[in-house]
Amino acid sequence: MKALTELFIVAFYTVFVQNLVLSSGLGISEAIRVSAKPGTFGRIAVMISGFSVVTGTLCGLIDMIPAVSGISFAMRGLIYGGVLAAVFALVAVIAKFIFGASDKFLSTLGIAALNTLVFAVPHINNHAAYSLAGSVGSGIGAGAAFVLAALLINKGSQLLKENEDIPEVFRGTPAMLFYVAMISLAFAGFSDTNIFG
Amino acid sequence: MNKTPSFKDIFLKNAVIFNPVLIQLAGLCPVVAASTSLKSSAMLSAVAFAELIAVSVIASALLKKLPRWVRVPLYFVIGLALICPALWYVETQTLTVLSMSMKIFIPLIAINSVVAVHCEQFAVKNDVKTAFFSSAAAGIGASLVFVTAGALREIIGSSSIGGIELNLPVAFKGMTLPFGCLILLGFMSAVLKTFIGKKYPEYFGVHSSVAAKPGDELPEKEDIPAQQPDEASLPAEEKIPDSVSEEDIKIKTEEEIEEFFKSLGLDFEEKGDEG
Repeated sequence: MKALTELFIVAFYTVFVQNLVLSSGLGISEAIRVSAKPGTFGRIAVMISGFSVVTGTLCGLIDMIPAVSGISFAMRGLIYGGVLAAVFALVAVIAKFIFGASDKFLSTLGIAALNTLVFAVPHINNHAAYSLAGSVGSGIGAGAAFVLAALLINKGSQLLKENEDIPEVFRGTPAMLFYVAMISLAFAGFSDTNIFG
Repeated sequence: MNKTPSFKDIFLKNAVIFNPVLIQLAGLCPVVAASTSLKSSAMLSAVAFAELIAVSVIASALLKKLPRWVRVPLYFVIGLALICPALWYVETQTLTVLSMSMKIFIPLIAINSVVAVHCEQFAVKNDVKTAFFSSAAAGIGASLVFVTAGALREIIGSSSIGGIELNLPVAFKGMTLPFGCLILLGFMSAVLKTFIGKKYPEYFGVHSSVAAKPGDELPEKEDIPAQQPDEASLPAEEKIPDSVSEEDIKIKTEEEIEEFFKSLGLDFEEKGDEG
């Protein structure tokens, strides 16, 4: 029960209090790109959560090895990256050669697996000293945070597109960046961040 | 009508007109999350620049024949193999003191979307020399954004520059947070858009269309414009004429814009602000 509670608290914290995409900027480029196709949100969220959970858990187990616990950040990055690449390769090979997945699906899989959000999760788990349950919660939260960010950006981009009052020089990319900044500011408020001092 | 693009053309398109950060919205994570000071942004941009060139050259030389779903993870693995040992050397063998965010974010540069987007759009479709120059140009474009954003964030957010106190009457700490950087990037994007509108009006619609309907996936190899053949290799009737009419130039640039949108998976019909 305690583990389950920790899992939910960490997941909730990762989505709403310290949203990894909007508060930390992780995977923000992918969120903006993916936001154009709402139909893919669910699939990508599941993929991101899956890769984050598996990679975060495996990296957490590796961190328990005494020889690994004291290594430099560079070597830690290499190990985490190696684990992520290996997990992606395994899933892609299974999807391709056992389930006959199309190249388009595998490309989507690559976008979901190989981004700064998923790669940052093991680092965050290590830095925050999450337990195994916390690591799972962090991974699930990463996927949920991504889909929440993509949903908000999708809604905003539709409204921006319809808005004729935006000065021409700010239309398009500048307006999109301002809009994402406003959502990010809202999440900064959730995390009780002092922005004026 | 075909000719080999000059270095000026390559630089202009990759660094300015199709700037990786301000136009293609790639590589936002490092600049938003970690470029909070001049020093950190200079360090990140140096790492990103070196990685982009190295991976692009390797992709152009060795990875062209592999399917895209194999290439993209290889960019990541190659980037990690280059960055992590270098970071380890800096961390353990020199006296350089890196902040905690730098220690975490420098390895994250390996998975930077600028690299994947640029390699898929240009490197795997061009020869090694062109891939080198185009990646250098894109790297310069991204680095300029990183460093400018980092310097402005440090000045406005921390009232200092390069660690030197400026003692400004007001410091807006929010500028060091992601939302502050996104606002800054919005203004930088608007300035770039104004510049393009004045100097290269034929490309003005690019900004609006990219953000209005961003592509959700990396461009397919088939959609990417290939390197134009060398003039000497063309048949006599296809040699470049001595004079090129204004209409020819207009058609060429429209085609280039269309190719760019196709490469991003966008619908060219939606180009322009009025679209």
